[in-house]
Amino acid sequence: MIKLYTICLCFFLATVAVNAQTRYFTKDGHISFYSHALIEDIKADNHQVLSVIDTESRELAIQLLMRSFTFKKALMREHFNENYVESHIYPKAKFTGRIAEIKLNDTNPYETEISGTLSIHGVEKEVSTKAQVRIEADKITLSGDFNVVVADYNIKIPALVRDNIAKIVKVSFELHHKPYK
Amino acid sequence: MKNNRLYIILLLFLSGFYSLSAQDLLKLIEQEQKDTVLYTLATFKATRIAIGQSVETRKKGVLEWQFMSRFWNIPDRRTQSFIADKVSARIGLVYGVSDRLSFGLGGTTWDGIFDGFLKYRLIWQRTDKKGAPFSITLFQNASYRSDSYPNITATDNFRNRLSFTSQLLIARKFTPNFSLQLTPTYIHRGSLLFPEDRQNLFALGLGARYKVNNHLAVVSEYHYLTNPIRAVDTFDAFAIGVNWEASDVILQFYLTNARNIEVGNFSTQTFNNFNFNDGNLHFGFNFTYVLHLKKKR
Repeated sequence: MIKLYTICLCFFLATVAVNAQTRYFTKDGHISFYSHALIEDIKADNHQVLSVIDTESRELAIQLLMRSFTFKKALMREHFNENYVESHIYPKAKFTGRIAEIKLNDTNPYETEISGTLSIHGVEKEVSTKAQVRIEADKITLSGDFNVVVADYNIKIPALVRDNIAKIVKVSFELHHKPYK
Repeated sequence: MKNNRLYIILLLFLSGFYSLSAQDLLKLIEQEQKDTVLYTLATFKATRIAIGQSVETRKKGVLEWQFMSRFWNIPDRRTQSFIADKVSARIGLVYGVSDRLSFGLGGTTWDGIFDGFLKYRLIWQRTDKKGAPFSITLFQNASYRSDSYPNITATDNFRNRLSFTSQLLIARKFTPNFSLQLTPTYIHRGSLLFPEDRQNLFALGLGARYKVNNHLAVVSEYHYLTNPIRAVDTFDAFAIGVNWEASDVILQFYLTNARNIEVGNFSTQTFNNFNFNDGNLHFGFNFTYVLHLKKKR
């Protein structure tokens, strides 16, 4: 009996040890958004996106600071933070979800589905999107894009600037993960 | 048997560690999130609160076009003027040399004053609870009065027509909606309308903003002059109004008793008090258009 337990224990210890290597992490991921409207196009980039994948559970968590988005125009950044996403109240955007499939030994890029909860401006919404996965050596790259309906996240666009800001913005992501520590 | 139990406890304990959820991943991210320096954004919306300078400077490569105006009536006059008896307008530019240094110039119609200034952000308030709890901007201007004074006995050469104003703009954004500014001001006037006039004057400005919603703010200003000139009665300049902004445009509407638009002049030469009588009530309107000359990338 004790032998059996010992075997189990060894197994668990082994998986716990392996566990550390099942996490892939990045802190300089890239997420951008693009708003196409009648008067102007707005593009913003964030190169300080944190993302972690657990290949065992296929779970994924992404977080970014709204203040880290950079715009072409300095005033756009101020308005984005002050008037629209209210980053003084909701400083972060978060995503937690699951990747449908992770083929660790496949070096060919493939498409899979990511679904989970996206939290922006204090509003949580279930989202799901197609994503490209590329696994090379010890690197996992996730990339893709999806649409975000601005009104879904309780972000109000005044009628006067409705031709400046799109109701639906395209969010693109490219995250290069490396083994965590 | 005792050993068995120990093993089971150990196993359960370890399996607890083993279960990884997305929440744990978020916790991991939270630990890795490095502190970023967050300078306070938009203590005030514009580079002017209403009539006076605000702590704000323009970002590098940004050109701001300012149109400032005042409208008022001449009391007890049967007048056929359109809208108002008197109009004064200042057309000016502000350019962001760097994120901290701004340069501006402008000319005013009614008093014929041309002014140029430099604004430097010395200390920038930070919202990440580190660093300075308030912002300090240094302001220095020089102004030239192109119109001559009606007093023919007053000396009126080039040097007499210059005046200089130095300000320390100290502001704090207390909450996302409420900002307060203290403005110690030193004014050196070359112009002496009467020999009794003082050349060096000290004033203290107080300005505040309260954001009603994301696009509209109520603002007010009061400029207390510690040593007014002796020859005539002057009053402290006061203004109350609203700021509205969207996209690249900022509109400011306010009521004031200050006729002059240049800071050294309205602080020292406001000859009427703030009330709703004809001649004392001035309607002010500022239109600011922000142009980004240098775009990133």
